[in-house]
Amino acid sequence: MWKWIQRQSSPKIFYQTCTSLTPWFFWPFIGFLLVGLYWALIVSPADYQQGDGYRIIFIHVPSAILSMMVYAIMAIAGGIGLIWQIKMAEVVAKVSAPIGAAFTIIALVSGAVWGKPMWGAWWVWDARLTSELILLFLYLAYISLNNAFDNPRTAAKASSILAIVGLVNLPIIHYSVKWWNTLHQGYSVGTGGLKDPDMQIALALMFVASIFLYALLVAIKAKTEVLIREQNSRWVQDEVSGAAL
Amino acid sequence: MTMVEYFSFLPYGKYAFYVWLAYGVSAITVITLFVSAKRNHKKAIISLKNKYSRK
Repeated sequence: MWKWIQRQSSPKIFYQTCTSLTPWFFWPFIGFLLVGLYWALIVSPADYQQGDGYRIIFIHVPSAILSMMVYAIMAIAGGIGLIWQIKMAEVVAKVSAPIGAAFTIIALVSGAVWGKPMWGAWWVWDARLTSELILLFLYLAYISLNNAFDNPRTAAKASSILAIVGLVNLPIIHYSVKWWNTLHQGYSVGTGGLKDPDMQIALALMFVASIFLYALLVAIKAKTEVLIREQNSRWVQDEVSGAAL
Repeated sequence: MTMVEYFSFLPYGKYAFYVWLAYGVSAITVITLFVSAKRNHKKAIISLKNKYSRK
């Protein structure tokens, strides 16, 4: 097992794995997205309280879950890089940050656009919204800290520690709707959430699509990062000179 | 005439403006992410190619 991990985490093998996995992430993403959109926009009925306005949920909830999931992955990968000195874990952590930040922005913007017709305000300083905004700041802090060092290993060390400390924010976001009296509605997934089976299917499809999107973006971005980090090794020279543009 | 009224001819009527704004912003963000990831990869390959050919 350990040997297998070591082999997979050699930059060359990792690069090749990313290349071969890319179509396996891209096409399922497109498939789940199209079926998910069909289910979200056409099959699902209007909500009895919110009418058609609730349809924002199908992008809001998956992107909000992903914003937290990607953060957890980023912190765990950073931790693996710190403990076991696996360079490819550092790469995964680094390239996850801008993707996670984008998911956070989508969650915040779609939430604001949803809040306007339902609450009458684009933004309120509610516990859920504020903690999600802090998550965005954590991502931005991670990205700028990572870019502040010339040595990628030092950058990974410093920013991984930041990511791990920031993990404390995730349970705060998750439980914010329970711990505090918030304007934000309660959980959509699980008991007391969406009850219509078509709505549940649409949300599940969009969620799976988002996971494939994340994996796809990590695969592409990680390849770029590996090329730059390993530019002095023989295999990168071969790879680059053989690459068709 | 407000934006909400203006876009109410689209599906979802009075919510059309908000729903399509949310979906539109998300689509633009995702497409930008994907295109920039692809473009950065290409740029890295080109700049490394140039670097190796100088040696």
